[in-house]
Amino acid sequence: MADSTQLKSDALLEQMKQHLSTDAGKAVVKKLGLVYQINIAPKKMGFDEVTYTVDLKKGEVTKGSYEGGKPDATFTFKDDDFVKVATGKMNPQIAFMRGLMKVKGSLSAAQKFTPDLFPKPSKM
Amino acid sequence: MAMRELVTGGAACAVPGSSSSSNPLGALANALIGSSSKTQERLQEVPTSTPVTSEPNFYAETDNHLGALPGSEFDQSLLPPNAQGSEFLRGFRSADQNGFTDAWDEIQHQSDGPPFDHFYDRAAAPQLQPTLDGPPQRVLSSFLHSFVESSRSGIPFHPAALPLLGLSEGDKKCIRDRSSIMARHFFADQSEDFINAQVNTLLSSLEIDSDARGKGPLPGRFRELEDYWNESQSMRNTGPHPADGWVAEYGQHRAAHGDPDAWAHSFEQQHGANGWASEFEREQVLLTSGDQMRGGNISNLAAMEQTRMLAQTLAQNHDPKFQNSRFLQFVSKMSRGELIIDDNQVKPATLPASGDWASEYQQQYNNGPAWADEFARNELSRGPEGWADEFAAAQEQQGSVDDQWVNEFSKLHVGDWAEEFGQQISEGAFDTSGDSWANAYDEFLNEQVVAKVRSDASRGVYVFSDMNPYVGHPNPLKEGQELFRKGLLSEAVLALEAEVLKNPENSEGWRLLGIAHAENDDDQQAIAAMMRAHEAEPTNLEVLLSLGVSHTNELEQAAALKYLYGWLRHHPKYGTIAPPELSDSLYYADVARLFVEAARLSPEDADVHIVLGVLYNLSRQYDKAIESFQTALKLKPQDYSLWNKLGATQANSVQSADAILAYQRALDLKPNYVRAWANMGISYANQGMYEESVRYYVRALAMNPKADNAWQYLRISLSSASRNDMLEACDSRNLDVLQKEFPL
Repeated sequence: MADSTQLKSDALLEQMKQHLSTDAGKAVVKKLGLVYQINIAPKKMGFDEVTYTVDLKKGEVTKGSYEGGKPDATFTFKDDDFVKVATGKMNPQIAFMRGLMKVKGSLSAAQKFTPDLFPKPSKM
Repeated sequence: MAMRELVTGGAACAVPGSSSSSNPLGALANALIGSSSKTQERLQEVPTSTPVTSEPNFYAETDNHLGALPGSEFDQSLLPPNAQGSEFLRGFRSADQNGFTDAWDEIQHQSDGPPFDHFYDRAAAPQLQPTLDGPPQRVLSSFLHSFVESSRSGIPFHPAALPLLGLSEGDKKCIRDRSSIMARHFFADQSEDFINAQVNTLLSSLEIDSDARGKGPLPGRFRELEDYWNESQSMRNTGPHPADGWVAEYGQHRAAHGDPDAWAHSFEQQHGANGWASEFEREQVLLTSGDQMRGGNISNLAAMEQTRMLAQTLAQNHDPKFQNSRFLQFVSKMSRGELIIDDNQVKPATLPASGDWASEYQQQYNNGPAWADEFARNELSRGPEGWADEFAAAQEQQGSVDDQWVNEFSKLHVGDWAEEFGQQISEGAFDTSGDSWANAYDEFLNEQVVAKVRSDASRGVYVFSDMNPYVGHPNPLKEGQELFRKGLLSEAVLALEAEVLKNPENSEGWRLLGIAHAENDDDQQAIAAMMRAHEAEPTNLEVLLSLGVSHTNELEQAAALKYLYGWLRHHPKYGTIAPPELSDSLYYADVARLFVEAARLSPEDADVHIVLGVLYNLSRQYDKAIESFQTALKLKPQDYSLWNKLGATQANSVQSADAILAYQRALDLKPNYVRAWANMGISYANQGMYEESVRYYVRALAMNPKADNAWQYLRISLSSASRNDMLEACDSRNLDVLQKEFPL
């Protein structure tokens, strides 16, 4: 249930999870075939991070670290910055250059992490 | 002395991390002007061009000194004898010379006892050549005094054989530099050759090599002062008096500020055209018009005319020495210095790295009015005068014209931006490509606005449009309502902005403005406007609901919950079931429970179902949310925003096909509903129909080119649709091209 500690990113990743079951989502899985792990910090990187695994091999979004081995790339964001990147407000390169996004793992996998992977939230 | 306030400038002038007294400019000012409390006393020591009598009552002679100062006849040619401006300039000059004496005293190796003793000596037994014996410092002191005194009668200085003084290199340099500077000051009415001869005589007597002058860094605390004096003294060869040089530079400085093209242009050239630069330019235009306006307020037109003439004459000096004057460079240098110091810290007050202009500009506006006040007060206490009036009036007007912009400017966290800019440059992150820089900058600025709006702690800052044709409209609210009803959202926004500019406490104006922005797909502005409406009328239910919706859209859980609960609390019917103590610690479950109860109490109230639907969106219980909205729609089928809410909920729960039907209903009811068009685009994009989505985004943008979200989504869709050929049109926001390419 929603409370004040909930992350904005939760909403986007929840939507991502459902999105992967659609045709468009399946197309993404087919195209990428990679596993990303995303650590999201509410305020400051390294503190109270919540980990999501976006498995674009199986088409799943799960909470927690990837259990099937090593993810192709691991990202660390602050909550707000992840939302900006996922909604196209900030491009990942800029986020990286500014130190707002930390990357571990394969660079080529990381470069495929683009805003078009994510479904866009609609507004009421 | 008001001039001093300007120069010392308080905190904004200070080099960060140091007190203002160690600020070089402040030091310069202090040395130049001295403390105002001792001005009267010190005036009496000022060397004048008239021969000084050696009467014992030297210190009693106060009345004629101002009039006897060199260069004062120049003032009188421009200003009437009694004009305060002339008084001001004269006082300023005497202060110069005053501080100058300070500097002179300082080189006498303070151990020497009170620097004035020699004056007393001289008063008792006037002589031009003092006895040159005793300890070296005493000898040096006497010798230097004799040099000073030679200036009083304008006679050549006689060399003297001195005992070995044992001067260090630093001492020599110090004496060399100071004596050259002072000689030029003392012998203002003499030729350059004469001055050089005087100095050389002195230096050779002291066995100091005069050629080494000016090489290498100068020792001592007043290096900047030395530089400035060197500069101003050399300048004096072309101008009547050093103080005039100063005033001229100041005038020129002002003129430079008043020239919008030069400033804004060079900025634009350097950094590429963007919103900020143009806004700046526009403000400069406003400033200039403010400058013109001030003319109307002045009672003493003659004085104004004279001041203007003075300023013009001075500003027209194209002497490159003026243009490259050390003082201007010094100010710039200082702000560049701040850039380095503050590179890794955010200090909004000092605006570190944004370059000279931003900090100068800010400084000018932070300090300007204060200075003007001070100045006006000082002047008025001596009797009102056009000069002071003009300044005060001008500053006041500039202040009012500018307030809004300045607020906006400071709220944008220019410091952050400046820091970012500095960092990126230093990292070389953005090479020479102006485009990518400008984009990143634009983006960052947007983020700043978003961040400001989003952070719950700080209020959203409403950003007004540039050119608003409705400003001055007799009834902008009515006009705005009419335009809104016709669906001309962007026009309605302008009219409503005019309304809230006119009546900032008009909650209805702000509310409708917020709604217009929300329908125009601009939640940041919507929130900012609604916050103002909320401020003006904290219990307005529509405002509370809108804020709840907008914060939900922005994924701001806590804020959304607060406003939705506020809706319940202030509702005449349901307020009773909402315990006030709950608002201190809101939990979703509690709020949801209360709303379910309210809906049970009155199932016929569409509004409760709407709020409940929003609440379920917040917890991502989309099925329940859809149910609530559908219930509400049965009661209110003509509510286009409700259809959009339903559609958005369906889209977020991956029922994009249904969502498109709901959006279509909304658009049937309100064809110019930008948000619904943009949502259509999102739903197509989320279904992988990128080319379709592009058409809807473009349609939305054609109606509101300021919908930043839509631009971002359009870009993503264009890449996903492999239409990279259109990215450039997207990045340059070229709607003509896009509309032609993607008609709907």
